[in-house]
Amino acid sequence: MSKLQKLMTILYIVIFSLSTAFAEEVNVYTSRHYDSDDALYSEFTKETGIKVNIISGNGSALIERLKVEGKNSPADIYFTVDAGNLWKVQKDGYFKSINSESIKSVVPKNLRGPNDEWVAIAKRARVIYYNPNTVTANEVNNLSYEDLARPEWKERIAIRSSSNMYNQSLVASLISNHGIQTTESWAKDFVKNFARNPQGSDRAQIVAVANGEADIAIANSYYIGIMLSGGSGDDQLQAAKKVKMHFPNQGNRGVHINISGAGVLKNSPNSENAIKFIEFLLSKKVQQYMVNISFEYPVIDGIDPHPSIANFGTDFKEDRTSVADYGKYNPDAIRLMDRAGWK
Amino acid sequence: MTALVIKNLYHAYENKNYVLKDINLSIDSGEIVSILGPSGCGKTTLLRVIAGLEDQSAGTIKINGKIVSNKKFMLPPEKRCTGLVVQDKALFPHLSVLNNVMFGIQKNKGKHTLAINYLELFKVEKLANKFPHEISGGEQQRVALARAMAPHPDILLLDEPFSALDQNLKNKLYQETKKIFKEKGLTVLIVSHDKNEAELLSDKLIYIKEGKISHLEINNQLSY
Amino acid sequence: MLKPSIPSFWAVLPFLILFLFLLPVLIVLFSLFSGYSENWAHLYNYVLVDYISNTLYLIIGVSLTSLLIGTISAWIVTNYDFFGKRFLEWALILPLATPPYILAYTFTGFFDAYGTANNIIREIFSLDQSFILFPNIRNIYGAIAVFSFTLYPYIYLVSRAAFLNQSRSILEAGRMLGLNQYEIFYKLSLPIIRPAVIGGLMLVIMETISDFGAVDHFAIQTFTTGVFRTWHGMYDLTTAMQLASILLIFVATFVWIEKTSRKKALYTSGSSTFKPAKKIKLIKMKAVIAFLICFIPILIGFILPITELTKWAINYNLTFFDEKFLQAAMNTILLAVAAGILCASIALIINFSIRFNKNRFSNFLSSFLSLGYAVPGLILAVGIVQLFALIDKNIFINTDIIITGSLIGLIFAYVIKSYALANSTFESGFQRISFHLDDSARTLNSSGWNLLSRVHFPLLKTSFLTSILLVTSEVVKELPATLILRPFNFDTLAVSTYIYAAEERMFQAAAPAIAIMLVGLIPIILLTKMISSSRPMDK
Repeated sequence: MSKLQKLMTILYIVIFSLSTAFAEEVNVYTSRHYDSDDALYSEFTKETGIKVNIISGNGSALIERLKVEGKNSPADIYFTVDAGNLWKVQKDGYFKSINSESIKSVVPKNLRGPNDEWVAIAKRARVIYYNPNTVTANEVNNLSYEDLARPEWKERIAIRSSSNMYNQSLVASLISNHGIQTTESWAKDFVKNFARNPQGSDRAQIVAVANGEADIAIANSYYIGIMLSGGSGDDQLQAAKKVKMHFPNQGNRGVHINISGAGVLKNSPNSENAIKFIEFLLSKKVQQYMVNISFEYPVIDGIDPHPSIANFGTDFKEDRTSVADYGKYNPDAIRLMDRAGWK
Repeated sequence: MTALVIKNLYHAYENKNYVLKDINLSIDSGEIVSILGPSGCGKTTLLRVIAGLEDQSAGTIKINGKIVSNKKFMLPPEKRCTGLVVQDKALFPHLSVLNNVMFGIQKNKGKHTLAINYLELFKVEKLANKFPHEISGGEQQRVALARAMAPHPDILLLDEPFSALDQNLKNKLYQETKKIFKEKGLTVLIVSHDKNEAELLSDKLIYIKEGKISHLEINNQLSY
Repeated sequence: MLKPSIPSFWAVLPFLILFLFLLPVLIVLFSLFSGYSENWAHLYNYVLVDYISNTLYLIIGVSLTSLLIGTISAWIVTNYDFFGKRFLEWALILPLATPPYILAYTFTGFFDAYGTANNIIREIFSLDQSFILFPNIRNIYGAIAVFSFTLYPYIYLVSRAAFLNQSRSILEAGRMLGLNQYEIFYKLSLPIIRPAVIGGLMLVIMETISDFGAVDHFAIQTFTTGVFRTWHGMYDLTTAMQLASILLIFVATFVWIEKTSRKKALYTSGSSTFKPAKKIKLIKMKAVIAFLICFIPILIGFILPITELTKWAINYNLTFFDEKFLQAAMNTILLAVAAGILCASIALIINFSIRFNKNRFSNFLSSFLSLGYAVPGLILAVGIVQLFALIDKNIFINTDIIITGSLIGLIFAYVIKSYALANSTFESGFQRISFHLDDSARTLNSSGWNLLSRVHFPLLKTSFLTSILLVTSEVVKELPATLILRPFNFDTLAVSTYIYAAEERMFQAAAPAIAIMLVGLIPIILLTKMISSSRPMDK
């Protein structure tokens, strides 16, 4: 080491010796961070003695940090709410396979990476909400995403912008099933059926249906749970009561599923702890806790979603399209939506 | 002894036309010299070049026998031992009158006494604790002169120092300041556009026209 | 032309500092040389025109609106006396505490078809549920309103200072020449303060351009949303950085044109003593109108979002304000103040050196660093991470990563992001100091540090404080962008807001968002104190 390096190192140690060295720790880079997560982490520490260190931030930006840190990265786990980002990290080879029979035995294959590079922690369905006053039961019966491009839905659909990753994943899953050309002509017709320019959040789409601005909306499943919980105000509670949920594509491949997921990084300094942490997240107790707070669906069997979500039905068919394909076709999905004029 | 020698001095702003052309000048120690000329003739620039506030294009300047700038070398203004008073006085607004005068005094001991002495010289010692915006224009001018003289400059440069004052005040200040300059034996270079003022104040008059010295006049008038 | 024989310390120092801080921006710009992917053809064919036109509409709309609000309100409070004037004078800068994306969220919550505003109207006039008074604001006009009402204080601040510096004699001369009140405003006062106002306008434009949250919420496709779509969705960071670079070059050209035009119109008032214009007393209707004109921006830019957020927070959770919150608030304040002091010191030193040395190159680099304000935060963060990884790999060879993910990185990011705020404050501060003071000081043996500490710094104390406060409030708002740079477990206020807002769980985000506004209010209240004490000649 040169003198300068030594000096800088000493300087650094003096300034940043604050970070207390825990004997056992696990370092998590996450783009999923709810207030309730803290309780989870301290529960994990209590059970195992392993401290959980967190850096939360934008998923894509965290990937860049992982990349430049290279083999010196302190990160053990990458945790994100976007399947596309999981695929990206997997494709670039920053994950290693999770060798845990207890994980493999509880999580279905389509919710894991091709070589178990990552695993889903919670899942959500992208469903159709409709206003029962303007949409007949007959119209929604057996309705699929593909059907929404048909002319009878002209100017009746509310959906948010194509910048949103849930829409990107949905279109990517369509590409995975039908190829680019078919999906593109579908998208062009679909866009014609928009009731208004894409805008606002998923919940704004549900509200639009409740208010009669649109007849049906596409939005994630857990939002209705949040709205019905009253946690987002009386207006949204009233709006949520006016709409009904429909699981599309029950006649064929099933409703589109997206995930929150995590993987262990190749250069993980504490990979055993990392696996323990993921196992912990997939334990019955934690899964129950998480779905009760986030209104998502569990990824393991034997857990019920929150009652307000379960009311819409739990016995629905899920699309088994590999979640990894969402990432793979995500760039195509964006370009396709741009071409179709989906703002 | 000569206090200031200027040889073949040229100056141009940003490579445009020469503002000063072939200036040659020599001022004896203790002499009071006025530079006269219409506005835009380059007289203020000459003063600023002597002070080191502007670069020169060519030529040599010597102060008290020491070269302060030539072709290869240029001493920054703070090392030239000149004193400067400009038309708008440029008193430091955040400092009291006393602190303004003490500002340039280099030695640590006796700073205060020295500054008071100079304020007394210009009859403004009572204003020592006031701030510049609290005193009148004429008083500001006296303070500015005291401040420029307090560090004992080798040469005092005055740029239209009295032009903002009314005639009565001017006449009074001419007499007083000339007396003080002479008593202290100061070398003074004054830029002025007022022939009357120059005649009242100085021993020598230099006329500048379009950047060149047009002629020189010895002042025979006895003004005090 | 001859130069001093020794290379001056003041010529070298700014160069070194600026170069160091410019590196991350250069890394972003360097992407322009690293090959162009096929995504460019796609962007060019389908969306680039939209990105450019929407960004331009946004810039033009926000510029005009914020100019109107900023200059008119400043004119009213500096020239008229009416009920509430003293309150309005400082309250007009409160919206600076509102991050644009938070105003965007509250705007939609408030003005939606079934939002608070329409509900109130229906309640009052007992109208049918289908009656909708307020139009949809999730469009470019809504976005223009959001940016204008959160950013106009930058224009208000400079206009107010400039109007105050305008001497009475000029305005009186105008009246003698037969101009009426309004003509004096737009024919005389406005043109005179133009150079100062353009400086404030540049800040408004740069912040508008770099914003992502608000335009994304309104689903407006701008250059910056394009940057993030390309990066996050097409996984093409290089193209994203190239897009950001083009934006930067565009802004740089703009800044350059502005600088050269300003050079021709540099009006400094040499005198340090000025007579304030005499204020005209307004009564009755005129007083009410004046009050409303100045109050509406505060209502929309500050009161509305904070009440709407409070409503949400009370509905959802107030438990957020616990010990952990205090820790996060402390961290936020410490970081923001550290960045503020560093930024102000650097801007002071750089601007001094530019003045002292007449150093054109430093001047150029300084404007260049100001561009950091226009770089979308996350893109800047990537530049910084890449730079630090390089340093870690080459200087701390045998150790673990050191600078990446340290507090140094965070502060570094904030300095680059908010240098423009400090720089513009000091630029106008230095302009107000007569060069004759420097000349006198230099002939009195004072130069370099001595001159800086004895003459300029005391005269620029207000500028110094102002820039610290502006940077601090900006950093509190800007935190999300740089989250990825922080060390483990270093919580700041923005963490929860950012994550929830990204998921559009605005009710959960409400409590931390209020916290951001409240903490951001601290520097702003200090700033308002300075403002109300900056007119000693008031009764």
